[in-house]
Amino acid sequence: MSQTAVSRKTNKPASPWKPAKPPKKLNNPGAVLSLNGKWGYLFTAPFFVMFLIFGLAPIIYSVYIAFFNWDALGTQEFIGIQNFVELVADDRFWNALMNTIDIWLLSTIPMLILSIGLAAILHNPNLRGSTFWRTILLVPNITSVLAIAIVFGQLFGRDFGMVNLVIGALGFEHIDFIQGTTSSHVAIATMIVWRWTGYNALIFLAAMLAIPGELYESASLDGANKWKQFRYVTLPSLRNTITFVLIVGTIGGLQVFAEPLILGGSYNGGDSGQFSTLTLFLFDQAFVAYKWGYAAAVGIMITVIVAIVSFINFVITRRLAGDGK
Amino acid sequence: MSFKMLSLKSTALFSAALLSIGALGAISPAQAVVDCTNATADTDTCTVLTINTFGDVIEPALVSDYKRLHPEIKLSIKKSDLDALNGTGLYTQCAAGGAGSPDIAAVEISYSGFWRSYPQCFIDMRTLHTTVGNKTANDIKKDYLAWRWDQGVGYNDNVIGVPTDVGGLEVAYRWDLFKAKGLPYKRDDVSKAWSTWPKFIEFGKKYMAKVSPADKKKNVGFMDNAATIYAAIMNQGTMKYYKNNGTDAGQLVYKTNPQVKLAFNTTIDAAKAGIGTRIGQFSSDWNVGMSKGTFAVMLSPAWMMDYIKGQAPTTNGKWDIADIPGGGGNQGGSQLTMPIKKAGMPNHKQQAWDFITWYLAPDQQLKVFQIYGLFPSTPSLYKDSDLVGFKDPFFNKAPTGAIYADGVKKLKPIFEGKLQRCIDMAMGSALSLVINGKEKVSTKAFAKGLSDADKCK
Repeated sequence: MSQTAVSRKTNKPASPWKPAKPPKKLNNPGAVLSLNGKWGYLFTAPFFVMFLIFGLAPIIYSVYIAFFNWDALGTQEFIGIQNFVELVADDRFWNALMNTIDIWLLSTIPMLILSIGLAAILHNPNLRGSTFWRTILLVPNITSVLAIAIVFGQLFGRDFGMVNLVIGALGFEHIDFIQGTTSSHVAIATMIVWRWTGYNALIFLAAMLAIPGELYESASLDGANKWKQFRYVTLPSLRNTITFVLIVGTIGGLQVFAEPLILGGSYNGGDSGQFSTLTLFLFDQAFVAYKWGYAAAVGIMITVIVAIVSFINFVITRRLAGDGK
Repeated sequence: MSFKMLSLKSTALFSAALLSIGALGAISPAQAVVDCTNATADTDTCTVLTINTFGDVIEPALVSDYKRLHPEIKLSIKKSDLDALNGTGLYTQCAAGGAGSPDIAAVEISYSGFWRSYPQCFIDMRTLHTTVGNKTANDIKKDYLAWRWDQGVGYNDNVIGVPTDVGGLEVAYRWDLFKAKGLPYKRDDVSKAWSTWPKFIEFGKKYMAKVSPADKKKNVGFMDNAATIYAAIMNQGTMKYYKNNGTDAGQLVYKTNPQVKLAFNTTIDAAKAGIGTRIGQFSSDWNVGMSKGTFAVMLSPAWMMDYIKGQAPTTNGKWDIADIPGGGGNQGGSQLTMPIKKAGMPNHKQQAWDFITWYLAPDQQLKVFQIYGLFPSTPSLYKDSDLVGFKDPFFNKAPTGAIYADGVKKLKPIFEGKLQRCIDMAMGSALSLVINGKEKVSTKAFAKGLSDADKCK
């Protein structure tokens, strides 16, 4: 009835903007409709204005200066693609890239396993105080990155760090986490895992709650135990969520910055650049070497790399979590 | 009497009387009731002078003094990390034509070589005159150590900053640990025993020979970090990465200057002799190690003495100060500068210049030395009995004033250049490769350092 009422009132066929059945309680549905149609732009405008000023404009600007030898306080000289040519031949860039990938792998894989595991535990209907546990999971995520980095930097200290005190008590030699290459990556990955596992666990939990209970029922009727249910029902259903978490994690992981900065105390990423990451290298070029053009070229390369890795992620997760055959 | 009873005329008279009392008050010397403590922006009575600084450049006791002298000025002091202040802050502010600049900014000397090549980012202090005494930068230049003054002079001769304290560089050592290991431990004997860097390394080896295997396993060593030797030797030469005489000023010579190679190789000799603990300075291990005797020696600027006292109070009296090998040195110190400001921003050139010249004058520097131990950059004080006669009980009653005065007088001005900091970082990273065993061949590391330095251009 309402469909015909609206059509008659506006003398127009139903447009995609208009709900097929406006809620009865609204005495003037037309106002809501126009709100959707025109005012929507106004209400989304703040985001777009901010994005244009702080998002798009700097991106365009940095693409522009990437083709210059850009001294912000001195002269600017157009040099074509020379920044990119130098960058590809710069071992510091490749070092930073390898470090970043290493840290990303060391953090993403444990984080994925841990957060799915945590989500599975929280999904258990017999768990007591589930709201409490869900809230607790978010605490690391809302802690300041700087605070985390300072605390973990002390935990991983060579002589008096708590981790090494345990290692020493077990009779092993102390590990110089910060000076070593792999060990420093482990330290940084630990911070990232600690910070993001809980957050991702909640995302996985939400996805698990959306899986229809009938699937589990029929699986258990077919004789599948808990593990098989998890493997053949839960995991395949999480495929899109895993892709999402991986891509968001990739974008974050390839831009890891604060953790290595605070761990080393400077932009070089450790005394010999052993944990210099892509963004740290970008910052180092912009504000230690003051080569803005070169730094902008690094930024563009980071964007390209994120796009490539995200695409690979996408393809692999499609295959891996396939249709569970 | 109530207001109601007053006629219009008498009200006017009354107000006029109030006004004139106010006007009298403004010029009366007894008027000291101006309180700008809570001022956040300029008002008729208050001027807010913004100062961006780091660490201990602006000391609280002196700020209180200034407040008493100038109640009409509120010093709004913002402390931040050194790199954020000198590396990114000043750079972006200048690139934006002085938008967001403070009235006064502290520039640390590791950044001075860079900023001296951009004098257009700062107000030329030769153009300013103090309210009292009408002094320009040229008039006060003679009060300061020549090489410290030069660190605040742009390469176009503009004066962009006035020196704060001078770091100097001597050696702080644990005499009790030396004594326990049967080594010379009196400061004169120690200074004589390590008069050169090779002798210093030999001394360190003797110390290490007495360290028990159990302690060695705990990473106990002779000095905190052998990498610190590099900068010390670089400062003892006549030039670093740039040639600094005559018309060649600004020509890069890091590939040919023998001092660079000498400093690099000596540092590696020290590291290979195993005398350093490889602890990064200012790390948590370093802070703890200082009180636990993890290392017995650290190259120490004057300001470091206060740091040691704060971090390792339990070692009171166990430290002493000996001369640095090779003679003379410096680490740290700043200039107070006045960055340019965008038109339309509050402008306090006069007040800023008055503050800088007051704060960095010999009298105030002496007071900072007495309270905080920062060493003055004004040589007239080096004859002052308060300074020369000062003995520090924490450092086994060492005459720290006299020791540091001798050291800083030995240094000569060295041309630093725009790329100094970047090249320093490149060489430091190459050194670290060898010190941490990631590169066995030191010549390869040296070549990598030089090629990374090339990328600074």
